[in-house]
Amino acid sequence: MSALRDDAGLAALTTIVLLPLLVVVLAGALQLGAIRVSIARVQAAADLATLIAVNDQDDAELARSGTLRLADDAADVAREYFARELELSTPLLAAAPAEIAGSADIAAFPIAPATDPRSGARYDRPAVRIDAEVPLRTPILGALAFRSVTTVRVFAMSSPR
Amino acid sequence: MNLIKDERGLATLEATLMIAVLVPLLFSILEFGAALERWLAQDAATVQAARYAGELGGDLPEVRSLLADQLRASGIDPGVTTVTIEPARVGWREPVRVSVTSEQRVAIPFLFATTLPLRSSALARGEVNR
Repeated sequence: MSALRDDAGLAALTTIVLLPLLVVVLAGALQLGAIRVSIARVQAAADLATLIAVNDQDDAELARSGTLRLADDAADVAREYFARELELSTPLLAAAPAEIAGSADIAAFPIAPATDPRSGARYDRPAVRIDAEVPLRTPILGALAFRSVTTVRVFAMSSPR
Repeated sequence: MNLIKDERGLATLEATLMIAVLVPLLFSILEFGAALERWLAQDAATVQAARYAGELGGDLPEVRSLLADQLRASGIDPGVTTVTIEPARVGWREPVRVSVTSEQRVAIPFLFATTLPLRSSALARGEVNR
């Protein structure tokens, strides 16, 4: 009985027992940080793609009427550059950049005002919008019995000024 | 038997064991957290620089100056970063890529110390009709 009441070494034992839990917490914290970086990169990719596409103005229309109007290929340009931007972060992605960009919902609204049928948003200027689901690699979450692929949704919209 | 029952110094031993385990864990979170924060800031500065490079037409002092200011504002010394802007002169609707690489030292007490390379890249499109 005295052995049961003896609490010598209890702190060390507790530390050793809790060690796996602490390591899991550390791994989880690192994985969440990595996800945050991945989301920021993917969001920046979508933002830059819409900005590039929206800068692609119909020069003839601008010269003729002074009206900002998107070029006919604005949506294609947005898709192309979204894929190119994602290529820079390929190690973070769980699918090919071209595949992600190909399945993204990209819409160009060349003439304002326009209403986005997907979000219901009203655009007072020409706009390009990207709405995409991007699968990210999350190997540590996978090792912790969660999903090894985490899908995030990014939304980006740009209008010319 | 006396030796086994003698508890003198046991608390010190336990404290040492706990410190040897907990301090590296705590420093891992702090050090890697700082590295991720720096990576995010570097990414954001790179995106801004890429946009500016597209707007001005390539690798110009103004672009590098903006990038240096952005990095400095995020607590990153521009002097220890490697910046590449390709192509140096970008034409109308041509892609321009800005890459920034820096190194972040990560030191975990009792475990290891290493240097992590932080790489950021962004792509923009030339807006100058030459």
